[in-house]
Amino acid sequence: MKRAFLGEFEEVVMLTVAILDEEAYGVTVTQEIEQKTGRSVGFSTVHTTLQRLEEKGFLASRMGGATAERGGRRKRFFTVTAAGRKALRDVKQVREELWRSLPPQTLQLITG
Amino acid sequence: MPNATRPPRWATRLLSWWSHPDTREDVQGDLLELYHYWVMTVGKRRADWRYCLNVLKLLRPLAKSKQAREYPPPFLLSPDMLRNYFTIAWRTLAHNKVYSLINVVGLSIGLAAAMLIMLYTKDEVSYDRFHANNPHIYRITNREFNPAGVQERVGTNTGYFQGPRFMAGVPEILSFVRYREQRLDMKRGNEVTSQPVFEADSNIFSVFSFPLLSGNPKTALKAPNSVVVSEDVAQREFGTTDVLGKIIYLKDSDYEDNSQFSPYIITGVSAKCPQNSSIKFDILKQLIVPQEAMADNNNWFNFFLNTFVLLNPNANLGKVEKQMNRIYVADARDAIKTMAQQFGMKNRMEYMLQPFTDMHLNKDLPPDNGLVDRSNPMYSYILTGIALFILIIACINFVNLTVARSLKRAKEIGIRKVVGGGRSQLTFQFLGESFLLCFAAFVFAVLLVLLVLPTFNQLANKALALSYLFDVKLVAGYIGLFLATGLLAGFYPALVLSSYDPVQTLYSRFKLSGRNYLQKSLVVLQFAIASFLIIGTLTIYSQFEYLTNKDLGYDDRHVIDVEKSRLNRNELKLLRDELLKNPNIVGVTPKNGGRWGTIAKINGETQQNFAYETIDPNFLPLFKIPIVQGRNFSADLRTDSTQAVLVNETFVKKAGWKNPIGQVVDFWYNENEKYRVVGVVKDHHYASLSEEIGPQLFTMKPTNPYGKFFVKIKPGTETASLRHLEKTFKRLFPIMPYSYTFLDESNRSKYEAEAKWKQIMLFGAILTIFISCIGLFGLATLSAERRTKEIGIRKVLGASVSSLVQLLSSDFLKLVGFSFVFAFPAAWYAIDAWLQNYPYRIDISAWTFVVAAVMAIAIALLTVSFQSIRAALSNPIKSLRTE
Repeated sequence: MKRAFLGEFEEVVMLTVAILDEEAYGVTVTQEIEQKTGRSVGFSTVHTTLQRLEEKGFLASRMGGATAERGGRRKRFFTVTAAGRKALRDVKQVREELWRSLPPQTLQLITG
Repeated sequence: MPNATRPPRWATRLLSWWSHPDTREDVQGDLLELYHYWVMTVGKRRADWRYCLNVLKLLRPLAKSKQAREYPPPFLLSPDMLRNYFTIAWRTLAHNKVYSLINVVGLSIGLAAAMLIMLYTKDEVSYDRFHANNPHIYRITNREFNPAGVQERVGTNTGYFQGPRFMAGVPEILSFVRYREQRLDMKRGNEVTSQPVFEADSNIFSVFSFPLLSGNPKTALKAPNSVVVSEDVAQREFGTTDVLGKIIYLKDSDYEDNSQFSPYIITGVSAKCPQNSSIKFDILKQLIVPQEAMADNNNWFNFFLNTFVLLNPNANLGKVEKQMNRIYVADARDAIKTMAQQFGMKNRMEYMLQPFTDMHLNKDLPPDNGLVDRSNPMYSYILTGIALFILIIACINFVNLTVARSLKRAKEIGIRKVVGGGRSQLTFQFLGESFLLCFAAFVFAVLLVLLVLPTFNQLANKALALSYLFDVKLVAGYIGLFLATGLLAGFYPALVLSSYDPVQTLYSRFKLSGRNYLQKSLVVLQFAIASFLIIGTLTIYSQFEYLTNKDLGYDDRHVIDVEKSRLNRNELKLLRDELLKNPNIVGVTPKNGGRWGTIAKINGETQQNFAYETIDPNFLPLFKIPIVQGRNFSADLRTDSTQAVLVNETFVKKAGWKNPIGQVVDFWYNENEKYRVVGVVKDHHYASLSEEIGPQLFTMKPTNPYGKFFVKIKPGTETASLRHLEKTFKRLFPIMPYSYTFLDESNRSKYEAEAKWKQIMLFGAILTIFISCIGLFGLATLSAERRTKEIGIRKVLGASVSSLVQLLSSDFLKLVGFSFVFAFPAAWYAIDAWLQNYPYRIDISAWTFVVAAVMAIAIALLTVSFQSIRAALSNPIKSLRTE
C-alpha cells in the first residue's frame, strides 16, 4: 500500500493540531509550535500548511468562535481526520521501524 | 479599541482586497489576534513588522473562491426573480398613484418635447441633402472689399455671365445652372392670375435630383417654349397629371408694356419638390438669355439670379475659387474700369463658392431670389435648449421623487438584502423599474407627438409628417434618447437605494441621509430654469407688443395696398378719378413697386446711399407724414417732378446739412441730373422695425414707373370700398392680376416670426413650469407624509394651522428664492443678447424680473400649500394613533 507523504513541518503541524484537540486554529497552532519546539515560525507558513493539509484531506475545518479581539471574525478550527490519523500513524511506524533497525552501537552513539 | 494597538491600515486593507477569498475571514481574525499578542510580547514596532510581513506573504491576488464554483449565485435574470420584480414594480406604482402619474406624465412631456425638437432639427439639417450630386454642388457667391481692404458686403446673387464664363475657364466646373424667380401672368380662359414662374438652364434636372413623373429630364427644357409643371399645378389646372403636350399661356415678361401671352407646351411633370428643399418650383421654364445681354460686358455687374455649379469630385475648392477670380479680373477688366468711372465703384469684388447644403441655415448667405425657406439657426438652438430644459426637469423630478420615496422602500431593500439579494441585483431591479416607467412614458410621448404635430407644424412653419418619425436615424435617436433618459433618471436612485445598509433599515427607523443636498440643488436647478423661461417669455412678449404697437410715424389704418406693375401717369389719373367717384374713398396715391435704393452725390463729391421712393404730391398727406421743414411736392409746379426732391431727417443728419432746403443732390451717372431739396420729411418706419430708419429720398421723376397704389378709405366701409375698387380695377386693367392687402395687416404680418416664437416660448415656459410644479407637488406630498407624526404632535401641543403651513412650505420657498440667484444673471445675459437683434427695442426693466419672481414664488406656493394645508388640517388623532 502506498503511504501518504508527510513533510516534517506538516507532521509537526498535524501533531500540534491533534494536541490542541478542540482548540486548534491558526493562532493557537502557531503559538503552540513556538512554545513546544522553540523555533520561530511565521503565521503565514502555518496557515499555508494548514490549508495544504486540509486540501490533502488530513485535516477538516469548521468556522466558529468569533471574539471581539478578532474584530468579530470567526476562527477556523481544525481537527485531524481519519486519513490524517492514519498518515500520522504511518509516519510514526516508519520512523519506529527505522529506529529499530539501527545497529546497537550506532544507537548508543546517538542517544549517548 | 485604542488606536495604538491597531495594525497598519494599509496592510489590513491589502489583506481585505487580495487575500484568498475562501479563508479571508479567519486569516483576518487570526492575524488581528496574533497582532495583539505580539504587541504584548515583543512591542508595537515589531508587531507591526510581523503583521505586515505575514500579510504580504498571504496575499493571493489571483485566487478565486472555490466555493463559488461549487455553489454558483442564482442567475441574475432568473424568470422567478423577474416575475417578482414586475409584481413589486406594478404594486408600488399602483400603490402610489400620484407619484407614478407625476413621473410618467412629466417624463412623457419631456420626451415628447425632445422628440419634436429632434424632428425639427433633423428637418433643418436635412435641407437640400437629397440631391445625388451633393456635396459637389456649390452656389457662386461674392463679397466686396473697400479700398482699405475691409469686407463691406457679401452677396448671394450673380448674373448671366458668371456661370458660363467660369465654366469655360475652369475645367473642374462640370456644369452650371442659373435659376431665378419671376412673377408672370398666366391666362386660363379669361382669367388672369399672377404666378411665380421659375426659370433655369435646361440641365437643371441633371445637376439636381428632381424626379420627373413624366417627360424626359434630358430634353424637357431644351426648347424655349417648353415648360415643366409640378403635379400640383397639373392637377389644379387640368385635373390630371397626364398633361404632356398640353398648353399653358404665360406672358413673356412683366417688364415690357407690349408683352403678349404666348403658348408654352408642357414637356414634363415633376413630383412635388420635397419639403426640405430650398428650390421649390411649380412652373419651370427655360432661362432665355438674350444675345445682346451676353455681348455687353457690363453685365458682369448685373446681379439678379442664383448660379449653381457642379464641381468635379476631386476638385480643390480653394484652387477653383482662385481660378474663378483670375478669370473675372481678366475678362471683366473693361467693365470694372467702366464701373469705376461711371459709378465711382472703387470696391474690389471677389467670388466664392458656397456648398449648396450650407444655404438653408446660413444667416449671411441665405437662400433668396427664388430660393425659399431661409432659416435662422438660432431658432434651432432655442428650441433645442427648451426641449433639453424640459427633459432635464422631468428627469430631475424622476430622480427626486424616486429617492425621496425610497424611504418607504428601505424595508423592502433591507429584506431583499437579508435574504441574499446582492447589490447588483438591487441595482438591476431599480434600473429596471426606471426603464419600465420610462417605457410607459415613451409610449405616451409618441402618442403625444402624434397629437400635437399639426399644431407644432403651424407654429414652427413646417410640414413635418408622421412618416418622418419612422426614419432609421430618427428611430435610433429615439431609442438612444429612451436609453439615456432611463439611465439618467434611474441611475442615481438605483445606486443610492442599493447601498442602504440592511441592519439600519430593519433595526431602527431609517433616516434619509442628512440634509439631502442633491434633492435641494435639483429643485433649485428646476426653478432656475423655470424662472429663466418666464423672464424670456415676458421679454419676448413685451418686445412683440412694442414692435406691433410702436408708432410707425405714419398712419397705416384704412389703407388698401394694391399691386399694379407699370402704372403710368395717365392710368393713375384715370384710376384716381374713377375711384374718387365713390364717396367712401378718401384718397389715392401711387408709389414705386418693391424697394428701390440708389446712390447720389451730395456736398459736391460725397456719395450717399439712400432709399429711393417715387411718389406723388398726395403721398405724404395721405399717410399723415409731417413735413418738418420746407414744403411738400406740389401738383401745380411742373418743375417739382424734374428738379425737386424731398429727403427725410436721417438723410439730413447723414449729409450733415445745417440748412437742408436748397441743397443739391447730384445723380451724376444719369447725365448729371441735379435736384434741389425743397422739403424735409419727418422720419418714419418705412421698413420693418427690425431695420433702422435709413436715409430716404422722395422724387416724382416722370420716367420712374409706379408699381402700386394706396387707397385710403373711410373707416367701416371696407366691403363697399373693396367692391368698388375691384370693379374699377378690372374695368381699367382687364388683363392685369388683381390683389390687395390692408396695409396695417401686412405691417403686422412682418412680425409673424416674432409672434410664432412668442407662442413657442410661451408653450415652453408653461410646460417647464408645469413639470417643475408637479415635481414640487410630489416632493411636498412626500415630505408632508414623512412628517405626519411631527405635525400631529405639534397640533396637539397647540400649533395653529397657519404656522404649520408656513413650516411645511418655507423650506421649498427658500429653494425657489435661492434659484433666482442663478436664473436672473443668466436670463439678463440671454435677453440682452436677444434684444441686440432689434434696432428698436424695449429696455430691460427690473419689473420683468420682479414679475417673474413673484410668479415663480406664487406658483410654487400654490403647489406646495395645497399639500401643506391638507397636512396641517388633518386630525392629529389619526396620525398619532398608530405606530
